[in-house]
Amino acid sequence: MSGKPPAGHFRLLYFASATSYTRKSSDDFPAPLPITDLPELLEKKYPGIEKAVLSSSAITVNLDYVDVKEEQQAATTSEESKPMVIQEGDEVAIIPPVSSG
Amino acid sequence: MTEGDEQGHSDLRRTIKATAASPSQCSKMAENSTLFHCLKEEGISVALTHDTLDARSIMDEVRSPKAGAIVLFAGTTRDSFDSKPVLHLSYESYPPLALQTMLSIARAIRQKHSLTAITIIHRLGVVPIGEASVLIAVSAPHRQAAWKGGEEALEDVKEKVEIWKLEEFGGEEGGIWRANRDGAAGCQSG
Repeated sequence: MSGKPPAGHFRLLYFASATSYTRKSSDDFPAPLPITDLPELLEKKYPGIEKAVLSSSAITVNLDYVDVKEEQQAATTSEESKPMVIQEGDEVAIIPPVSSG
Repeated sequence: MTEGDEQGHSDLRRTIKATAASPSQCSKMAENSTLFHCLKEEGISVALTHDTLDARSIMDEVRSPKAGAIVLFAGTTRDSFDSKPVLHLSYESYPPLALQTMLSIARAIRQKHSLTAITIIHRLGVVPIGEASVLIAVSAPHRQAAWKGGEEALEDVKEKVEIWKLEEFGGEEGGIWRANRDGAAGCQSG
């Protein structure tokens, strides 16, 4: 988890149920990647993760929440609006439902 | 989006970028060598620590001659969930994001209730049953604002802050990641 992702990659961080499912705290994936492609990429690497984890989780890119469904809708309803693209060096995170307190 | 500064997961410098007025940050090694993260600005302090929480010290942080009331809330770890005995609990976090969220909650609540000061601290790692996992202290000129502000801060923290609780029941089934949102059992831990 320390250091930075290798050149041409972004880092995806896992927490709580995402860590349990992947049995890892992070993965490095090639960048750039449209954020709308992330769920499919993860489902291929970790079959079943979409239903078990992603469907109830949020996603952040560099500490900002990104609504992936909204990005998908924007991409399909208008040819001009492109979904957000994850860039080299970005820190992306899967945020399962929180439980502090 | 494409900042040149690639920084690590626990590096706090990034938490500054989303905030207009930069809070000061403290990241120090405590005496027993566990890391302590916090952000501070006038009247506000938010922190994450692996140490035992100390109610006296966070009350002292909000203490002020301008305040006529301090309200302190301590959330403590319970030994059961739905009458199932819990062996122990542990918390993990995404520290830079959790601190950013705690700071924005503290700012909003302090302004809304005209609080003199507010401090929120959450413990991470294993928290033995009966010990405090979260402390919130608020001070205000009068008690009503302090009661209300303290309660609202706690509700916002439980709803939003990026911290996760793992309840270990022992035996074969492993632990459960709790979700505050619906109060139901979350995912099996593995």
